[in-house]
Amino acid sequence: MIRVNNVVKSHGPLRVLDGVTLEVGRGQLAALVGPSGGGKSTLLRCINGLEPFQAGTIAVGDAISLTGGVTPSRAVLLNLRRTVGMVFQQFNLFPHLSALRNVMSGPVYALGRPRDEAEAVARRLLERVGLGAKCDSRPGELSGGQQQRVAIARALAVNPAAILFDEPTSALDPQMAAEVLAVMRDLARDGNTTMVVVTHAIEFARQAANVVFVLERGRVVASGPPDEVLK
Amino acid sequence: MPAARRFLAVAALLLAASPALGQEKPLLRWGTDPIGGGPYVYEDGAGKETGFEWDLAAYLADKIGRRPEMRKGDWSKLPQLLDRPADAAGAIDIVLNGYEKTDELEKQYASTIPYYAYRLQLLTRENTGIAGWNDLLPAAGRPPRTVGVLEGTVAFSYMQKKYGDRIALSTNPDVATVMGEVADKERLDATVQDNPAATYYLGTTPKLRAAGPPVQPGFYVIYLRKTDTDLRDKLNAAIRDGLKDGTLQRVYRKYGLWSPDQEWLCYTQTGEWPADVDALPADDSTAGNPWPRMLSQLAGAAGMTVLLSVTSFPLAMLLGMLVALGRVYGPWLVRTPLGVYVEVLRGTPLLLQLYFIFYLLPSVGIALDPLAAGILGLAVNYSAYEAENYRAGLLAVPRGQMEAALSLGMTPLTAVRRVVVPQAVRVVIPPVTNDFIALFKDTSVCSVILITELTRKYNELYNFNRGYIVELAFVTAGLYLLMSYPLALLAGALERRVAVTRGGRP
Repeated sequence: MIRVNNVVKSHGPLRVLDGVTLEVGRGQLAALVGPSGGGKSTLLRCINGLEPFQAGTIAVGDAISLTGGVTPSRAVLLNLRRTVGMVFQQFNLFPHLSALRNVMSGPVYALGRPRDEAEAVARRLLERVGLGAKCDSRPGELSGGQQQRVAIARALAVNPAAILFDEPTSALDPQMAAEVLAVMRDLARDGNTTMVVVTHAIEFARQAANVVFVLERGRVVASGPPDEVLK
Repeated sequence: MPAARRFLAVAALLLAASPALGQEKPLLRWGTDPIGGGPYVYEDGAGKETGFEWDLAAYLADKIGRRPEMRKGDWSKLPQLLDRPADAAGAIDIVLNGYEKTDELEKQYASTIPYYAYRLQLLTRENTGIAGWNDLLPAAGRPPRTVGVLEGTVAFSYMQKKYGDRIALSTNPDVATVMGEVADKERLDATVQDNPAATYYLGTTPKLRAAGPPVQPGFYVIYLRKTDTDLRDKLNAAIRDGLKDGTLQRVYRKYGLWSPDQEWLCYTQTGEWPADVDALPADDSTAGNPWPRMLSQLAGAAGMTVLLSVTSFPLAMLLGMLVALGRVYGPWLVRTPLGVYVEVLRGTPLLLQLYFIFYLLPSVGIALDPLAAGILGLAVNYSAYEAENYRAGLLAVPRGQMEAALSLGMTPLTAVRRVVVPQAVRVVIPPVTNDFIALFKDTSVCSVILITELTRKYNELYNFNRGYIVELAFVTAGLYLLMSYPLALLAGALERRVAVTRGGRP
């Protein structure tokens, strides 16, 4: 589903990604772990086309590929982002919209779906992440864990083939982190969505991941099933 | 005894002249507004002041043993200069600048006998179809006649009283502007001027035509402080002598201003003044309680102020938002010119921009009527400020918002429209409402382009109701406050509403 081949990205003299190669199969949950500054979040942002990179290729599915040093066309970027969703460390919910309208924003504004159809989907998704009662709340009225669960519902609403999670629980206290991880486990059990998760929650990676990649100083230093890599 | 009297007279003369012997002659500081133009006081081609009143001041000063010194001031505010003490900086002794004899002014200031008898002349250009005064009346199939007059003149009150709402009367402080609007820019059909100005401009403006007979005789007098009775008597004697011995006739003939009215003036001035009260212009504008009339006029003008504000500000907001989006998200080729746009409009006075739009654009074929020019000028000027407000607002929206929107598959344009702009607008509500209140008051600048809004109306009114200057000022200020305070309340309410919807507590 996602194939990263020898990707290089530099900030000036600093090589943030130094020839990263990895592959995540359809329906798998891949955990990216490793020390801070190892390049995990940068890799995720490259996969979603939010940051350019200098060399290598990133392919998503059969049709979409990004090449280092080449500015992707708008059409490619649009196609990529409708295939790959993203959940951010700081949630990035739209503060001027209710939880329901946040979840509806993708289907309505990006895909042009009718409002009533999008609303039905959004209510179902909020129900699924345990926030059926919070449809009309604004992000400012929700706890951090609730906000992140709305963000996951928002990413799911456009029905992406894969979702990238960028440290989804780092900004949360342990109890709220547990709520969010429970939602993600639930998602992984379905097996419909490919998930790439940058995380420091080793226990979660051990239990839920199919495959684990360890990034250090911009390189993959270890990979494999969690039992082998996370001893 | 005759010998003794002669001796006394000579002694008095010597005493009076003694300062002149010991030192320079005392000054006769005469207030005038050279911008008022020919033939009163103006600069000739060589940049030297001239004009019939310049010559008159020279004659009068010489006659009473003083040295003339011209002091410049804004024409409509010249009498107020007499309210300042004679020894204050910039003080004047007399106002000598085509000031008409009116009851209003004579209540507050002393006046001399008249030095010139004028009449009102209707001026137009060839293609208006105006051949006389009655052609100003409304007719089917064409809009009401537009007539320009100088503010604070008898011509203004005469036209207002005689024609009322049947013509579109507008005022301007600058005679050259009004003449230009009639003769060349053709945004005014006609103007009514005192015959000296009419004579002068007919001679210098080829397209200008006189229409109908001169009407409504009146007198130019010199105004001075009520306490300066001695000076007034001397000036009266000097004018009388000048009328009798032909000096003034020579001056007036030099400028083509001699008319049968002046012969009659000479005749009446040999006797007591005023000789023929019936010849004075009828002036019943002060009859009865003036407040209902003044208040209704002020309220009407306040309506124009509101109209200017509510039409120009939404335009300014729209323009400003487009400029801000271009500056934040546009490529280099868009950003740079927009940056120049903002700096030029912020860095030059609104007044100048209005002049440019109204008086200079017609020379490249864009002739806007006053209201359109005013709205456009205000909108363009304020768009620069709004652009900066919105730019700050757009930059205040966290980067993650844009990224989240893009990651959902929105196009950049949709992301800006649906996610960034709605948040930016909430951030900028306080500075934008603040600017709206500022624009509301800046509409007064539009008075320079023939728009009668609240401040201009105040100026018009106090020229004819000088007993109420202070009261009128308070009422006008009160009207502004009455309209801007609800705006401030509205701004506060909006801010509180947004604070709640953003999830914060007010």
